[in-house]
Amino acid sequence: MTALWSWPARRLLLGAGQTAAVVLLVFALTEALPGDAAVALAGDQPDPGRIAALREALHLDRPAHERLAAWAAGLLHGDLGRSLTSGRPVSSLLADGFAPTLLLAALTLALLIPAAVGLGVLAARHEGRLADRVISALTLGVYAVPEFALGVLLVALFALRLGWLPPTAVGYGDDLLAHPAALVLPVLVLLSRPVCSLARLIRAGMTDALASPYVAHARRCAIPGSRIRYAHALPNALAPAAQQLARTVDWLLCGVIVVEALFVIPGLGTVLMNAVAERDVPVIQGLALVFGVTAVLLNLGADLVTHRFAPRAAVAA
Amino acid sequence: MNANDVAHLQDLRVEVDGRALVDGVSLRLPPGRITALIGASGSGKTTTGLALLGACPRGARVTGEVRVPATTVGYVPQHPATVLNPARPVAALLRDIARTQVRHLPRRARRPAIRQRVLHALAQAQLPDGEALLRRFPHQLSGGQQQRIVLAQALLTGARTIVADEPTTGQDALTKQQIVGQLAALTRQGIAVLLLSHDLEVVRALADDVHVMRDGRIVESGPPERLWLAPRHPWTRDLLAHSPSAQPSDISEPARQNAVLQVRGLTARHRTTTVLHPTDLRLHPGAALAVMGRSGSGKTTLARCLAGLHRAYDGEILLDGTALPPSLRHRTRDQLAAVQYVFQDARAAFDDYRPVVDQVARSAVRLRRVPPPDAMAEAERTLRDLGLPGDLVRRTPGQLSGGELQRAALARALLAHPRVLICDEITSGLDTVTRRSLLTLLSGLPQTHPGLSLVLITHDHDTAALADRIAVLDAGHLVEQGPTGRLRTAPQHPLTAALLQPSPRLSSRLPCSRPRT
Repeated sequence: MTALWSWPARRLLLGAGQTAAVVLLVFALTEALPGDAAVALAGDQPDPGRIAALREALHLDRPAHERLAAWAAGLLHGDLGRSLTSGRPVSSLLADGFAPTLLLAALTLALLIPAAVGLGVLAARHEGRLADRVISALTLGVYAVPEFALGVLLVALFALRLGWLPPTAVGYGDDLLAHPAALVLPVLVLLSRPVCSLARLIRAGMTDALASPYVAHARRCAIPGSRIRYAHALPNALAPAAQQLARTVDWLLCGVIVVEALFVIPGLGTVLMNAVAERDVPVIQGLALVFGVTAVLLNLGADLVTHRFAPRAAVAA
Repeated sequence: MNANDVAHLQDLRVEVDGRALVDGVSLRLPPGRITALIGASGSGKTTTGLALLGACPRGARVTGEVRVPATTVGYVPQHPATVLNPARPVAALLRDIARTQVRHLPRRARRPAIRQRVLHALAQAQLPDGEALLRRFPHQLSGGQQQRIVLAQALLTGARTIVADEPTTGQDALTKQQIVGQLAALTRQGIAVLLLSHDLEVVRALADDVHVMRDGRIVESGPPERLWLAPRHPWTRDLLAHSPSAQPSDISEPARQNAVLQVRGLTARHRTTTVLHPTDLRLHPGAALAVMGRSGSGKTTLARCLAGLHRAYDGEILLDGTALPPSLRHRTRDQLAAVQYVFQDARAAFDDYRPVVDQVARSAVRLRRVPPPDAMAEAERTLRDLGLPGDLVRRTPGQLSGGELQRAALARALLAHPRVLICDEITSGLDTVTRRSLLTLLSGLPQTHPGLSLVLITHDHDTAALADRIAVLDAGHLVEQGPTGRLRTAPQHPLTAALLQPSPRLSSRLPCSRPRT
């Protein structure tokens, strides 16, 4: 049992190191950008005296390593610091941004998994026949469309031409759930590419599994067909799909900047954009920390799932 | 006997692209008896067995009558691991089979009924402690356990006829005995067994009726005693003729000659488990060393260390007095060429899509920098010497038989002009005729390739008999080594005695409770 537990523990330690490295790198890159929060705050009429006063007030005149050390010391107490521009605690900023992002991600996932598995299994069952060719061609085609293009297309068609759905979430504030119509287009755009990649992976895995000797053996044992498909063949197709799914969830939670910007949804992506524009270093670092931890946990989860469904494959520490 | 509960085949003909794989085969499988089909590989044994299951090769035309009892026919394939789902614990399929049989019960009673049926089937398949195995995945079971799980699945479906394809192939002598006991136990339950095998010892010990197949036809049938004592068909005589028991060369160790390969204090690990304990071996030029042991004893790990395929070891491996780097990647081209490896599964060792001769020629190009046209000519010459003519080797591996591919693998290794040739179980999985010809070929190598040393990894005493010296491994410990003659006549260790014991022992262990007719 120790071997079983020491592996996730090692992975978590390694992940902590990786997250720290990401935070450091992000800090260094933000420092390397021209301008700082004082310049951003000073606005259109930069007056050198005012900028210097702002720098002093924000402690930006202290050397970079001291500021990093102060931030890290605060982190040890669970304090992510305060935003330089708004003065609000970073944790509450992140929490505000996280709610819409999580809502979008959860809705997308809830539709993504059944749709991708259903399409993949359907295509694999009819391998080489019409259903398979239609699904394979469509998924490849849709996958090739970048989400901003698809987003613009959908908005033009359903919001502007037909007027069925609101074009953006402007004005709905934080209460997106009360306006489900505003969520339809963003979720569709978010779904489009992951459904395709996941369905194609499931199809490939299922095709192999359905042609395998163990499925033929299960058929000889007179097991009902749907039971064979879902309980015996599908688990073999899940290992690669789990990895892809982890990447998708990671993207949904940390990187849907384009979709949030297009539909004006105040999620984490928007928070990140604004923070970078304003050189709001504590917020950027808080985001880097959250994104790093999410990525580490999701990938560990995916590896555990893979280990469960492809137990022979050694998992890299 | 009621004809309805007897599986039988009448005038079976299976044809692919106009070529008959099986032609005019008629068989009856009476309950409680073992019917054996023997013959060289490619003689149509497996096709006949699969026809009973209602399965046939792709694009095949099947004519004739196949009648099986109302219950399903169980199938235990040669490699049971292939029919076990790698992503599910072994319990999954067993429970699903049982689930189809308990639909009539009230919902609450189903779960205990399923459990009870599964455990009963495991016990029938000689897995009394089966409950602990249920949660394991197939790769966590030994080959013998996998085989019994597949058997339990067949029994759970209620099969009264079981097709066992090469159940003893590639197993060591002690595991073989367990399998023999297990098949005998099946017949005591009144189950009809069709045994497809080229393991003649097992067939002789077990079968009630033997059918000899050649080129898709049954050439001779009868009880084993009659066939062995008075074979009527020349092919039967050829098949049953005893393997050439190579003369135990009692030449004493080539005295104080320089060893080509020397192993000093070799200790190998798999992760944290030590699988090979300190081992010392010497291999002289032109000599042959057999490494014997049961499966899992560390034979293959030893061979893989020698070839640089297993890096996790301590100790030294010296080639001509120079230590070899543990990993292939750090060995020079000459060192790589000097130690060549022939794998057990020849088919897996070839690329499916390129002609065999091209792949054989590559080792001369890669390891000796021979220009490709010359390498090609040399490859064809070597392959011809090993009995593979020109048109055959220009095909892709899929069109060659297992025995032919094994010769090609041997040719590929020889084309590197090795000093040491490691043959890892290269004869297991082959039928007697093919095995015998491969053994003859191996015994001829010292003449055609003077100075070539052989390391034969084997559990087959016929193969071991080719060697000058034998080393016996047991659970990673080198328990005995010495000249072949001494080990055969005066083994010190009981395992040596068991492994080198001549074959007829199996028949003496035969359970005699079965009625013979």
